[in-house]
Amino acid sequence: MNRLSTYLLVALAAILLLLPLWANSGLVFLTGTTIIVAVFALSWNLLFGYAGLASFGSGGLFSIGAYTMAVMLRQGYEGQFLLLIVLATLAGGVVAFAIGFVALRRSTGIFLAILTLALAELLRITLAKIHWLGAEDGIPSIVRPTFSIGFATVDLSRGNSYYWFVCIACALLVGLTWWIAHGRFGRTLRTIRLDVERAAFMGVDTHRYRLVAFTISGAIAACAGALFAPWAQIVTPDIGNMMRSTQPILFTLLGGASSFWGPLIGAFLFSAIEFSTRTLVGIQEIITGGILLAVVLMFPTGVAGAWNALIAGLSARPEPAKAAPALQPVKE
Amino acid sequence: MFTLVNGLTTGMAVFLVAAGLTLVFGIMRILNFAHGAFFMIGAYVASSLVGSAPRSVLALIAAAVVAALVVGVLGIVVQRFILRRIQHVDEHYMLIATFAVMLVCVGFVKLVWGLEFLSVDPPPGIDAGVEIAGLFIPSFSLFIIASGIVVFLVLDFVIHRAWAGKMITAIARDGWMAELLGINVPAGIMAAVGGSFALAGLAGGLLLPNQTLSPALGDSFLLLAFITVVIGGLGNVRGAFIAAILLGVIDGLNTMFLPAYPGVVVYFAMVAFLLLWPNGILGESRL
Repeated sequence: MNRLSTYLLVALAAILLLLPLWANSGLVFLTGTTIIVAVFALSWNLLFGYAGLASFGSGGLFSIGAYTMAVMLRQGYEGQFLLLIVLATLAGGVVAFAIGFVALRRSTGIFLAILTLALAELLRITLAKIHWLGAEDGIPSIVRPTFSIGFATVDLSRGNSYYWFVCIACALLVGLTWWIAHGRFGRTLRTIRLDVERAAFMGVDTHRYRLVAFTISGAIAACAGALFAPWAQIVTPDIGNMMRSTQPILFTLLGGASSFWGPLIGAFLFSAIEFSTRTLVGIQEIITGGILLAVVLMFPTGVAGAWNALIAGLSARPEPAKAAPALQPVKE
Repeated sequence: MFTLVNGLTTGMAVFLVAAGLTLVFGIMRILNFAHGAFFMIGAYVASSLVGSAPRSVLALIAAAVVAALVVGVLGIVVQRFILRRIQHVDEHYMLIATFAVMLVCVGFVKLVWGLEFLSVDPPPGIDAGVEIAGLFIPSFSLFIIASGIVVFLVLDFVIHRAWAGKMITAIARDGWMAELLGINVPAGIMAAVGGSFALAGLAGGLLLPNQTLSPALGDSFLLLAFITVVIGGLGNVRGAFIAAILLGVIDGLNTMFLPAYPGVVVYFAMVAFLLLWPNGILGESRL
């Protein structure tokens, strides 16, 4: 990443952290939601951009995390909030592992897409029928917990404290994902995406790597869901509907799948578009769809790819000799 | 028996939507997310023509045909400006592009027809029921079953027996070779895609009665149609027909034995089918 992009990123992070000091509560809520779904999209792109697998059912894992959190908070375990997040994350990981274990060996591409879509829909319909989980109405009035971490008591129920908690948690998740994606594991995944056969020939257990990626991605998605439940204070079966599952896909492709930061950029751009067109019924969908189409047709590398190409072009202009190496690292 | 008829009705309704979807895939290798939205546009166009109470069965069919024409023309426009350009990119980008088309269509419907729910009654002649062997069967169900079978027979004939079908098959198998043989490939693809979209419009018109029209109509059918197409084998019209019947009957049995959990077993069945036959029961086909 170049210096200009780093400054922009730091500036954006600062704006997000200071937002509740001047914005109204509606905007704060929208931003918090965007931060959570941005991390959710990031987890999806770990699977798509790095392992080359497209899941269309990530909304199901999101709702598993959210429901786990909602039920546990309803049972009165709010004192162990941090543990609950871990528990929800594990739940998502276990379910993703089970699905990946059965599905990944048999299907990729469109079949995996449809299979995961069907599984998520199955989960949604089942959740809507279970009375213990509130059926269609879901679980309302989820508390924002108060818990102690040894030396201090953290009260997330007051004011904007839960917003900052979400910011910190999501920053940690982004960091974790960055570490996974840029380490040896992420590089191996990328090898597999580029050429499965060659990767297998070099001695990479492609199935195992994909399964691990599927599991990690599912766990992070569930973690995002777990953070979302106390934020929205209500979970309904529709939390994991088809629109939820397509959200990370839209964000990622809008932002750029080949870039680590793409899904985050896409999530914020998308929210900005939706926010600024929220009063225009009908036009909103046309604008959103039109922008997506334009991106797919004109910048297949997404906004991040276009930005990197622009930066590379600008910095290359004074020294034409260096143009070639400067253009290449569009990856990071 | 009653379950069977109900199941067949659902199955044929889904087949009407799935037929166009599987055809577009067979010709262009694009799984069209926007198909449900075009189905919905067809339904809205037809409802504007017949009003909330169509006068006769013929009026309904005529409205469906007009809807088919309108949607077919729309489909040709979409094909020319969008689908053709994304045909050779990564399949995930195709899904996104068609998803974007779907959003635009939904927005368009909201703009033109508004957000209220509309409903249309079955026309006189098929609004009552008939008694067959002591069973009361709504004649609208029979109408849908008959439409599904007729559409299937016509499609099957055109694809496997008629000259036009052979030409399209040739284009789908090897466009370059077809071009060498003097076939106008772009025109052929355009006609076939237009026809597939027209099928979506036709389905929208035919299934209009007993439906609640809302901008979310596309979604509810899209997923079932997707399932049908994938189980039947992508691009395979016969497979889609069989899969639609299977799913319909499974759904019917589901409502009979597990009335508390409507629509759940279909998904279980689908997951099972996908895991057992990942390429569909009749195999993938380039038309």
